[in-house]
Amino acid sequence: MKLLPEVEALDLGIYLQKENTFIISDLHLGYEKELHMRGILVPPFQFNEIKARLERIFQEYPTFKYIVINGDLKHEFGRISNQEWDEILELIDILSIHCEKIIVIKGNHDIILDRITNKRNVQFEKIGFSPSKNIFITHGHIIPKKDKRLSDAKTIIIGNEHPAVSLTDGIITEKYKCFLKGSWKRKNLIVQPSFCLVTEGTDILREEVISEFLEDLNLKNFEVFVVAAPDEIKYFGKIKNLEKPQK
Amino acid sequence: MTIQYLTKEYADESIFEVLDSLIVKWFKQKFKTFAPPQKYSVISIHKKENTLISAPTGSGKTLSAFLSIISELVSLSKQGKLEDKTYCVYISPLRALSRDIEVNLKNPLEEIEKLAGKDLGIRVAVRTGDTTTSERQKMLVKPPHILITTPESLGIVLVAPKFKKLLTDVQWVIIDEVHALAPNKRGVHLSVSLERLQNVSGPFTRIGLSATVAPLEEVAKFLVGFQNGSPRDCKIVDVQLIKEFDLKVLCPVPSIINATQEELHNSLYKLLDDLIQEHKTTLIFTNTRSATERVVHHLKTKYPKKYLENIGAHHSSLSREHRLDLENKLRKGELKVVVCSTSLELGIDIGYIDLVILLGSPKSTARALQRCGRSGHKLHDKIKGRFIVLDRDDLVECAVMLKNAYENKIDNIDIPQNCLDVIVQHIYGLAIENKQHAETALDLIRRSYCYKDLSWEQFESVLKYLAGEYVSLEQRSVYAKIWYDPVTKMLGRRSKIARVIYSTNIGTIPEESYLEVKFGEERIGMLDEGFLERLKKGDIFVLGGKTYRFNFARGMTVQVTPMPHTLPTVPSWFSEMLPLNFDVAIEIQKFRRKLEELFKEKRSKAEIVKFIHEYLYVDENSANSIYEYFREQFLFAEIPNDKKLVVEFYKGFGEKKFIIFHSLYGRRVNDALSRAIAYEISRISRNKNVAIALTDNGFYLTSESQKMQVLRAFQSLKPEHLRELLKRAIDQTEILKRRFRHCAMRSLMILRSYKGHRKSVGRQQMGAQILLSSVKRISDKFPILEEARREVLEDLMDIKRTEKVLSEIKSGKIKIHVIATEIPSPFALNLIARGYLDILKMEDKLEFVRRMHKAILKQIEPYEIAA
Repeated sequence: MKLLPEVEALDLGIYLQKENTFIISDLHLGYEKELHMRGILVPPFQFNEIKARLERIFQEYPTFKYIVINGDLKHEFGRISNQEWDEILELIDILSIHCEKIIVIKGNHDIILDRITNKRNVQFEKIGFSPSKNIFITHGHIIPKKDKRLSDAKTIIIGNEHPAVSLTDGIITEKYKCFLKGSWKRKNLIVQPSFCLVTEGTDILREEVISEFLEDLNLKNFEVFVVAAPDEIKYFGKIKNLEKPQK
Repeated sequence: MTIQYLTKEYADESIFEVLDSLIVKWFKQKFKTFAPPQKYSVISIHKKENTLISAPTGSGKTLSAFLSIISELVSLSKQGKLEDKTYCVYISPLRALSRDIEVNLKNPLEEIEKLAGKDLGIRVAVRTGDTTTSERQKMLVKPPHILITTPESLGIVLVAPKFKKLLTDVQWVIIDEVHALAPNKRGVHLSVSLERLQNVSGPFTRIGLSATVAPLEEVAKFLVGFQNGSPRDCKIVDVQLIKEFDLKVLCPVPSIINATQEELHNSLYKLLDDLIQEHKTTLIFTNTRSATERVVHHLKTKYPKKYLENIGAHHSSLSREHRLDLENKLRKGELKVVVCSTSLELGIDIGYIDLVILLGSPKSTARALQRCGRSGHKLHDKIKGRFIVLDRDDLVECAVMLKNAYENKIDNIDIPQNCLDVIVQHIYGLAIENKQHAETALDLIRRSYCYKDLSWEQFESVLKYLAGEYVSLEQRSVYAKIWYDPVTKMLGRRSKIARVIYSTNIGTIPEESYLEVKFGEERIGMLDEGFLERLKKGDIFVLGGKTYRFNFARGMTVQVTPMPHTLPTVPSWFSEMLPLNFDVAIEIQKFRRKLEELFKEKRSKAEIVKFIHEYLYVDENSANSIYEYFREQFLFAEIPNDKKLVVEFYKGFGEKKFIIFHSLYGRRVNDALSRAIAYEISRISRNKNVAIALTDNGFYLTSESQKMQVLRAFQSLKPEHLRELLKRAIDQTEILKRRFRHCAMRSLMILRSYKGHRKSVGRQQMGAQILLSSVKRISDKFPILEEARREVLEDLMDIKRTEKVLSEIKSGKIKIHVIATEIPSPFALNLIARGYLDILKMEDKLEFVRRMHKAILKQIEPYEIAA
């Protein structure tokens, strides 16, 4: 599903055709560990599912120039266990096979991931990344106001928000991950869903937004693209269309 | 001949013969003669026979149990043979009761010592969750001869190495309030703890104390357990009806149907006030926390001069201090009236009460008797109870219960079987105690009545869960609590903190916390904290039968706006009200049949009213109301009864169809039956979402779409397929999620206390949903998931009796009559007005989003990218 002529929604990620770049965000690896700290012994399942979902994409697109992790690779909370390091490194190794360079953008949850930033094909970005002049990718929790790449770009891609939408027919309500598209300072703004498979995310119809980009915007005219299944992304019109039950 | 009723009352003299002379002397000073249960049980217990004593509160049960035991301890002391060990363990489900019993034992012991003229050195001590470490240390130095404890604390003591040493030669175990333990998982837990205790101490005599309960033989087997596959011996002492009853059903207005809400409300409080003023101390049961608060509030505002300091509310979400304070005031006679939900049903001595009012049906005869029995707490006092009814269904229901009470027809309880979550705690405990063979552990567990039929496969699935076999090898350290070798079948504990995790997390009572719901300043009710987690701003939900919009939550308060006539956006499965007992339900249906026969025979009004008056023990007014109610139903439609299930097709506003089943089987059966039909509808037709509303008296199905094929679905239900079908039907429900959380906590997948912190319930609720979806990914047969399903189907719903009803329909014993109406028939009115709504979701997420997409496409421009 194309979000813009050269920006395509690919499962939970974004594919930039011209730049041959694939962007994913908010994986929150180790989410289960936080649940453990709360006394909830959830067996870890996220990592295997993330891998399976990525493999599906790589079958269709085996090599990218860049794979961008747009923030929050790791869920916050405490020291990283060896087990979790193994997962992070394994993921990086898998991504390496399918691209020339991995770009890791710092998110609000990331602690310094020194062991991966030392890897040869990983480039760590504190603020954001532009695969070409037109596009600027940043996590989105803050607006990097002084960054020239931001002011130059025509399209901005952010994560951070974990957008999801609850659809209802008046009786049943279900929540789905979604992409949002709208405009910010006359630029295109695309918010991508999280690649974290533990929860759907934040319901844009009912919850407060957290990203600084979205804070003062009227989101009613933002367009919604629902990820119904990995290969099934559906256009649902504008947020304002979804406020009433669909019959 | 193992379970045997004692039918011979012993004469006082023969009882004195077996007691120590000092006890005889003491007894003669205090009492004229033995109370009825004592006449049977003292000698039986003296002979070390397992004994179940069923008798009303205040009939001398506790002393029946203790008399022989104290006598023996006194004899030992006189002979200088009293050892430093625990001879008797007394277990009560109520912590509050423990202190009472301690006092009630220490006082007689002091009196006996006075008579003896010397210190006998018989020690009594309480060990519960409230006992301090230093108190526990003291017990190790000077062991109590009689230990008073709770089921949970007993479970903990069994893995405490030092304390356990005191329990190596226990002679007697007394279990109080057996009737309150047997029907739930606390009882299940205790039944295995007793077997574990038996392994530590060798055989002991079991004494069960119970209020009126049925079936007594099953409760006896629950008490004594099994040995080599058959129940151990037990004697039953059944002493009923020794007290005089004065029970009545009252209606605040002469005609319920003609009174306005306001008249009903005002007359209710006038009646309550009159009754309270005519008596010294009144206890009111309301069934729910919110009703308790409401009654107190209205009494205070309507009669500010009469009720101020002398009125109190008592329910489980009030603080412990508040409750203790209230109980003390009650005992001191400082209160005129106490209003409670269900919390004062059990045990603790609440002093002099001369009237019990039941506001709202108690839903079972045994519970009605138990509640009314809180009045006249002394032997030979008259039991005085008043059922106050506010609608015609309640009137019939309470009247039938009254009849049952007078005729001593006690309804049956169900004892849960094969609960896989509860044995998780025991297997863990056994592994902490010793390395052992799995077969040995299974043999022990099977000695409990609740696990006598547990299969090796079920048992092993729990072992594998505990051994962490459901997660990968690297992750096992986090999940595995025990190790288990399937080749040698040996098992043992895995980590050093096992004992801490066990001791701080065992127990079977689910933790819930509640928030207050308000519209402005008006109190509406209480809402589960876990439910709140799922509510989003703007959601419409059901509370107390009405719909509200959720605005926001602040602290412990939830602000809402009433939204009448709006469909809820979230199904709420959360008001788990008391369900009507099946046996009472059948009695009501029989009464319906008798009345229908009279109407069909064209008997005169006078004749029929006279019949009602005599059959149900109700006054003229009530008999008249019942007559009118049934006459309307008879003339307008048809009277459903135990041999005829009426299905009513009613077309409401806007062509909306309601298919009403007048299935008066209680909510537990209706829940299962309605879901099974709804599921079947979605299977045979394209109609995926069917709304269900149900009460104790029946249920209805409704749907947005026109064709439901209800009768076809109903007729295709087969009793032998019901379980599999319902398992699928409940898969997406809130109730399964909620019960799964409880089961996950009992099976230590969710720890209340972990790494030194207690966890909030709300946050655990969120985590439980993730846990449930991850467990489903692992295996659909995951033992804890299976247990949550079993709990929903067997404990919450009543699949067994639903199967029975279906079989009777198949065999023609129950006939189906279909009728069509344009306004709901009188019997259907309450169902339509008060039914509690849930939606059976059968569409999967992908189907749903596709349907939603089709719907939205009609409203929006097709998507095109601006080039």
